[in-house]
Amino acid sequence: MGRLPCDISGLSLLYVEDEADARVMVSKMLAMNYPKLTIYSAENGAAGLESYREHSPDVVMTDINMPVMDGIRMSREIKAINSEARIIAVTAHSDTSYLLSAIEIGIHHYVLKPLNYEELFALTDKVLEQIVLKRLVGEQNRRLVESERQLSGAQRIAHLGSWQKNLATGAMSWSDELYRICGLEPRSIQATHQAFLDRFLPEDRPIIATAINDALEVSKTPAHHFCRIVRPDGTIRTVRVEAEKLLDGGGLPEALIGTCHDVTELKQAEEQVRSLTEELERRVIQRTSLLQASVSELESFSYFVSHDLRAPVARLEGFCRALLEDCALCGNAGCTQYAERAERVVRQIKQIIDAFNNLTHYARCPLVITTIDLSAVVRGIAAGFQQTEPERVVDFLIADGVRVKGDATLLHTAMEHLIGNAWKFTSKREKAVIEFGCTYEGGTAVYFVRDNGAGFNMKYVEKLFKPFQTIHSPGEFTWHGTAIGLATVHSVILRHGGRIWAEGEVDRGATFHFTLEENPESGSYLKRA
Amino acid sequence: MAESYILLIEDNPDDAFLASRIIGKVCPEKILLARDGEEASELLQRMALDESYKQIRLVLLDLKLPKISGLDILQAIRSSAELRTLSVVVLTSSDNDLDQERCRELGVLDYIFKPMTADRLKSVLVRKKGD
Repeated sequence: MGRLPCDISGLSLLYVEDEADARVMVSKMLAMNYPKLTIYSAENGAAGLESYREHSPDVVMTDINMPVMDGIRMSREIKAINSEARIIAVTAHSDTSYLLSAIEIGIHHYVLKPLNYEELFALTDKVLEQIVLKRLVGEQNRRLVESERQLSGAQRIAHLGSWQKNLATGAMSWSDELYRICGLEPRSIQATHQAFLDRFLPEDRPIIATAINDALEVSKTPAHHFCRIVRPDGTIRTVRVEAEKLLDGGGLPEALIGTCHDVTELKQAEEQVRSLTEELERRVIQRTSLLQASVSELESFSYFVSHDLRAPVARLEGFCRALLEDCALCGNAGCTQYAERAERVVRQIKQIIDAFNNLTHYARCPLVITTIDLSAVVRGIAAGFQQTEPERVVDFLIADGVRVKGDATLLHTAMEHLIGNAWKFTSKREKAVIEFGCTYEGGTAVYFVRDNGAGFNMKYVEKLFKPFQTIHSPGEFTWHGTAIGLATVHSVILRHGGRIWAEGEVDRGATFHFTLEENPESGSYLKRA
Repeated sequence: MAESYILLIEDNPDDAFLASRIIGKVCPEKILLARDGEEASELLQRMALDESYKQIRLVLLDLKLPKISGLDILQAIRSSAELRTLSVVVLTSSDNDLDQERCRELGVLDYIFKPMTADRLKSVLVRKKGD
């Protein structure tokens, strides 16, 4: 009783014998010798056939001479069901007349009666071993086929072809996907080195040849190359080619293995991104130059105002003064009054020119961007106003720690105008409240200055931020003359990439909201005149 | 003693009229008027030759002049051996026209923003006396 070197679990054997004692005895001996083998038994050919149909055993061991149906007939029936069925005949010498039929049917093994167990087990071992080996080979084949199928599928999905070249024989093999990338039916041409080179554009062939040579050199690290394949229909595919050597057991190069990755679409997308980026850059340059043109126009206009307009205004002022001085001599009260009023008008014109120049300055000066504690700025401004009019009771509610990025001087000017406005328009309140804070709307910081002062009618809201426009009568509040405060704030906020808007109601106060770009641009590309 | 002058270099007739009017109120001197940079330059060169420049009490110089600018004239005065001690007051109508740095380097008595008033001119003359 030898031990089988292979695992027979899951295998089964059918033993057919009409003599009850022999059947029970042999079944028992088989079960003892092969504990992992499932054993069925039947008392004649008919019962054996039925059991075979039911259990499909891997091995059938059968007596020949039996009532109802003999072993030969049963074996023929079983072979009809499964031609691969393995049948061992148990025969007496007297049964030799059946042997020819047995061979014809395909019964390859037999043991003679009376049974010698050693002989029986040796034969059973051999048959079981054959079955296990066949299964193993079948399983390995299945795995190989599966693995090849998977590799081929993966290559197809990834558009990644592969090739291999035997260095000794020069023979080459290409994967199916490599054929497809080249626009060919798999295996439709012979895979040779020259045929491989011929797939590429003539000017790219030296690159491939170099890549293959480089792969053989020890010193060179594997590199990839982008080359173009021409398909038979003339279309061109861009591929990424890589090659590496395979070493044999002795560490010597045996073969070259390489990949050919079709990256045409990827390259096209890259090209698109590049051209879009270029287009974007071109537009930025164009817009910047338009912006520079506007700024330069603004500069010439502002130069015109500050230089060319000032001279005649100064002249006019001179004549008004001359008139005033000389009218005192003529004694006509009307003339003196007219001259005085004319002089006032001239002073107003000069103020407007100054205001205009300030305003255009905010639109074109480069910003110096730093981090600013806006809360501290507002507190300083509030303290300043309180000092100028200590008799006024104004409750300042200033949120702490509001930090922003921007130009300190410009933002100070803007906040001074906003707080100054609130200060001015709450002058008639007994208990004035001025609030500064920050809320968040959809992730964007919105800063605000709120007061409980005179407010305004929302139908004039459009006029608020326009220069030289006022929605209050000159006598109504302390009037500073030129009404460019909010226009200045507007300009400063715009320069910081932000937005400003206002809400108000007559006698119920006003709120000014504004946003600022998180990282404002200095605008240093604006040319100074 | 020979007559003395105030030299007014001003191209605009209105400005020249207004300045003359104020000078007339404040100073007893005669006014010499040059109507552009070239005329002023020629006049000054002639006066340097015949030494009549010594009779100039004050030069009132407009900066924006046709042909030769006020600054160039100032530069010429300062680099001339004879004229360099002349007292020059700059007239201007805006901050932007005034190259204060350059004027300070070349040495001017004062700047007057137009329109010049009698009081302003008087204060300049007081300052000249103090020099």
